[in-house]
Amino acid sequence: MSEFQPKIVAFLCNWCSYGAADLAGVSRLQYPPNIRVVRIPCTGRLSPKFILSAFRRGADGVWASG
Amino acid sequence: MRKAAYVQYAQAVPLKYAIDSANCIYFQKGKCRACEKVCPTKAVDFTQKPETVELNVGSVVIAAGFKPFDPSRFDSYNYANYKNVITSMEFERMLSASGPSMGHVARPSDHKDPKKIAWFQCVGSRDLNKCDNPYCSAVCCMYAIKEAVIAKEHAGAGGLDCSIFFMDMRTHGKDFEVFYEGAKKQGVRFVRSRVHTITEDKATKDLSVRYVTEDGALAEETFDMIVLSIGLETPPETVELAKKLGLELTSGRFAQTGSFTPVSTSREGVFVCGAFAGPKDIPQSVVEASASAVSAGQALAEARGALTKTKEAVPETDLRGEPPRIGVFVCRCGINIAGVVDVPSVVEHAKTLPGVVFATDNMYSCSQDTQDTMAQIIRDNRLNRVVVAACTPKTHEPLFQETLINAGLNKYLFEMANIRNQDSWVHKENPEAATQKAKDLVRMGITKAALIEPLPEAELDVNQTAMVAGGGISGMSAALALAGQGYETHIVERSDRLGGQALNLHKTWRGEDIQAKLAEMVAAVTKNPKITVHLGTEIAGVDGFVGNFKSALSKGGQTTSLDHGVAVVATGAGELRPSGYAYGKSPRIVTSLELDKKFMANGALVTGLQSAVFIQCVGSREPERPYCSRVCCTHSIESALEIKRRNPDAGVYILYRDIRSYGERETLYRQAREAGVIFIRYSVDRKPVVEAAGDTVGVTVFDPILGRTVQIGADLLCLASAVVPNDNTALARFFKVPVNAQGFFVERHAKLGPSEFATDGVFLCGLAHYPKPIDESIAQGQAAASRAITLLARKKIRMNGQVAKTNPALCSSCGVCVSVCPYKAPSFTTQGPFTGKAEINPVLCKGCGLCVASCRSGAINLKGFDTNQIMAMLEAM
Repeated sequence: MSEFQPKIVAFLCNWCSYGAADLAGVSRLQYPPNIRVVRIPCTGRLSPKFILSAFRRGADGVWASG
Repeated sequence: MRKAAYVQYAQAVPLKYAIDSANCIYFQKGKCRACEKVCPTKAVDFTQKPETVELNVGSVVIAAGFKPFDPSRFDSYNYANYKNVITSMEFERMLSASGPSMGHVARPSDHKDPKKIAWFQCVGSRDLNKCDNPYCSAVCCMYAIKEAVIAKEHAGAGGLDCSIFFMDMRTHGKDFEVFYEGAKKQGVRFVRSRVHTITEDKATKDLSVRYVTEDGALAEETFDMIVLSIGLETPPETVELAKKLGLELTSGRFAQTGSFTPVSTSREGVFVCGAFAGPKDIPQSVVEASASAVSAGQALAEARGALTKTKEAVPETDLRGEPPRIGVFVCRCGINIAGVVDVPSVVEHAKTLPGVVFATDNMYSCSQDTQDTMAQIIRDNRLNRVVVAACTPKTHEPLFQETLINAGLNKYLFEMANIRNQDSWVHKENPEAATQKAKDLVRMGITKAALIEPLPEAELDVNQTAMVAGGGISGMSAALALAGQGYETHIVERSDRLGGQALNLHKTWRGEDIQAKLAEMVAAVTKNPKITVHLGTEIAGVDGFVGNFKSALSKGGQTTSLDHGVAVVATGAGELRPSGYAYGKSPRIVTSLELDKKFMANGALVTGLQSAVFIQCVGSREPERPYCSRVCCTHSIESALEIKRRNPDAGVYILYRDIRSYGERETLYRQAREAGVIFIRYSVDRKPVVEAAGDTVGVTVFDPILGRTVQIGADLLCLASAVVPNDNTALARFFKVPVNAQGFFVERHAKLGPSEFATDGVFLCGLAHYPKPIDESIAQGQAAASRAITLLARKKIRMNGQVAKTNPALCSSCGVCVSVCPYKAPSFTTQGPFTGKAEINPVLCKGCGLCVASCRSGAINLKGFDTNQIMAMLEAM
C-alpha cells in the first residue's frame, strides 16, 4: 500500500481556505502533492453533484473546506 | 559590474535601457556606437541631452529615500579588502531570484557554498565614533533575521550556520517578534556582542573574529562569510536639495517633522515621506506615502480633477460566434516557480490542449513590461480567453484583468492556475510531482477557460460620506484629512470625549506637550463644518457594502442610521493592567500611563523623587502576548528624563530586555545615558523581583555586566505595561474584517496595504492595527483617509460580474433561494410574464453560489463559477 498515491480533490472557499492554502505557500509549509484545488466562491456553492462527479472521475478523496 | 547600457533593476518602471555616459566608450573616447547598430528598433539616440523642465505646482512631496551606508571607511572590518566581507544589500541581491547569482548564495572568493555566515548589526548606525550616525536605522535587525532565515532555507539539507551579532534586537514591527522567536527555533544564533575586528586567513579567505561573550569570556570564531548590516543615511545630494528648498534637518540629517505633523517639513506646502523623514521600513514608508499624498492634496482640494486626463477606454471586442482562442502564460516568478516546476514542459503541455493557440513563459508576469507584452500578444493572436499560471488570483487576478481590459477583452475572460503558492512553494522537495501538479492545474484552468463568457458589471453610486469609528488621535486625523478634501465625515466615539489614549499622555519623545496639541486637534475637529461627532455612541450593526454602507448608531438606547460610502476603523487600544511585580500593592507602583497622569497633575509622588525604577516588557514579548508594544522603551526613557529634569540627582534605573528606541529615538536613549539614567538588562527567565515595603519599593535584579544581583530601593516603580487591543470582535463581524491572534486588526497587506482592509471600502489606522506612537498614528490616520479618498473620488464603482442569475423558465417558485440568501438578493418577480418566478438583484448578489447549489430545479447559474465549468475542471483533472 506504500505505493498508493491518492488523488484528492479539494474544494476550497475563496475567502478562507483558499487564502489559507496561499498562506501555507507563503510560509513554505510542505505537504504531499496529492491535492488538486478547485477554487469556489463559497462552500455554499458546493453542490453535492460536484463531490459525486469528483469520485466518478477517479478521485480517491474529496476535501471540502470553508 | 553592470554594462554601460543598463536598466536600473528588473522591475523598474518604465523598463527602459539607459546609457551610463561615464562608462560608455563612445561618450568617453568618441568611438564605438555598437549599441546603435544592433538596436532593431533604432531606439538609441546619442544626441539626447539633460533638459530642465519647469513645473508649476501647488504642493511638493519629497520621497528622496536613503543611501545604504558605505562601510569601506571602517578599516577594522576591511570591507574594501576582504572579498568575503559583504554588505547586507549585497547579500540581499544574492538572495534575489533576479539578482546576479539567481538566488544562490556563494562565497565571493571561491564561489563555494558557505557553511557559516555571521551578520554584524549596527554598521553605520548607533555610532558616533567611527561615523556620524547617532540614530538607529530601524530596519537592520529585521532584515538580518530575514536574510539568515532565507539563507538557511535556501541551503536546505546541506545546512548553514547563521549567527547574528547585535547590541539590542529591535523587532518592534507587527509580527516581527514572532519571526524573531521563529528564527531562534530554526537555529539562527543570536550573540549579544559588538565585534571589533575581522581578520582574514590569507590562504583560505576564511574570516576570524574575536569577541566578548555575554558572560565576559573572550571567544574566537571563524566564518566563511560576514555580512555587515549597514544602516540607512541621507546622501549628500539630498542634504544639498534640502538646503536649496530651505528644509530643516535633524541631527541625523533627516527631514525635520513634528509628531503632530508627521509628513510636513519646516516649509509650508512641502511634504515628505519614507526614509528621508527618518529611517523606516516598508509598511511605515507606505503609510507616510499615503499620508503625504493626502496632505499635499488638501491645499489643492478645490482644483482637484482640473488637469486630469481621462484614460481612453479600449472598446471591448465582440466575441459572439467566435470559438475559444486561448492564450496561456506560465510564470517563472524568478526562481520561485521555475526553481521547482519545470516551466518549459508545462508550456509544452499547454500547447497540446484544445483551444490553446498560444503558450509561453514569463520571467515575472506581473512586471509592467510583461503586462504590455501580454496585451500585445492578446491583440496579435486575437486571443479571447487568457490563462495565467502563476501565483494566486487572490492577489494578482485584478492586475491581469486590467491587462485584458487594455487589450480590449472583457476582464472575466480570464482564469488563473495557482502554481506558486499552492504548488512550487509547498512541494519544494518534489519537483517532479510539482511539475505534474502544475500541468494538471493548468489543464483544469484551460478547460474552464474554454467555457467562460464575457460578463457585464452593474454600476453603483458611491455615497460621498465617511464614517470613522473611534475619536482618538488617529481617528481624528483621518476625519480631518477626509473633511479637508471636502467629504462629509462622521466620527463615532464610544466614550463621552474625543482624544482617546492621547488624553493620558504627557509628552512626545521630541518633547512636544501632548495635551496642548491634542486640544488644538479636538478644536479643529469640533469647528470643522464637515465633521459630525457622535459621542457616547456605539456601532450596533453595519449593513451594505463598499460605497453604500448603512450603520446603526446606538446612543443611550436610541438607534439612528447612518449612510456612508467608506468606513475607517480607528478603535484604538488600551494599557494592560499588570498582574505581577506587586502591582496594586503600593501607590508607588504605577504603569506608564499612570505616571504620565502624575506628571501632568504634578502630584506629590513625582515632585522630589529620589529614586525611580522602570521595568520594561511588562506583559509584552511573553508567550501569551508575543509582540513588542513598540512605544514603551521610548516612553520610559522620556519619563526617566522627566524625573531627571525635575531632580538631576535622582537615581533612575531602567530594567530592560532590549532597548528599542528605533530611528532617531535613539538620540533620546543617548541623552538618558548622558543624564545618568542607568540601564540594566534582564533576561526573560530571570525577571526582576519586586517587593512593596512601606514607603519604598524594593527591586532585585541580576546585572549581567556586574555579574551579580543588584538591589534597588526606589520611591517609584513604573511598569511599562503592554498595549492591548480593545475587544474588536463585534466590529470585525460587522465589516467582515479579520483580527489576529492577539486581537489586532489584520490589514490588507503587511507591507503594501497597511492602512486598509481586504474588504473594499473599509480602512484601518492607529493602535487598533498595532501599537504605535503619536506621529505614526497620525500618519496612519491620514493614510487611511488617503486610501478612502481614492475610492470616494471615483464617485461610481462597478460591482462584481460573477453573480447568480435565474432562468425563469426552469424556476418552480419554491422560494429556497429567497430564504437561503444571506444578502437578500433573490426575490419573486412582481410583474411581467415571469411574475412569481425568482430573480436576483445583481447589485446585492455577492456571488457566493449558495442559491445555485440549493436550487432543486437547476434554475440558477453562477456566472464565472458555473456548474458546467466546475464539472469540466473535474473532468480535466
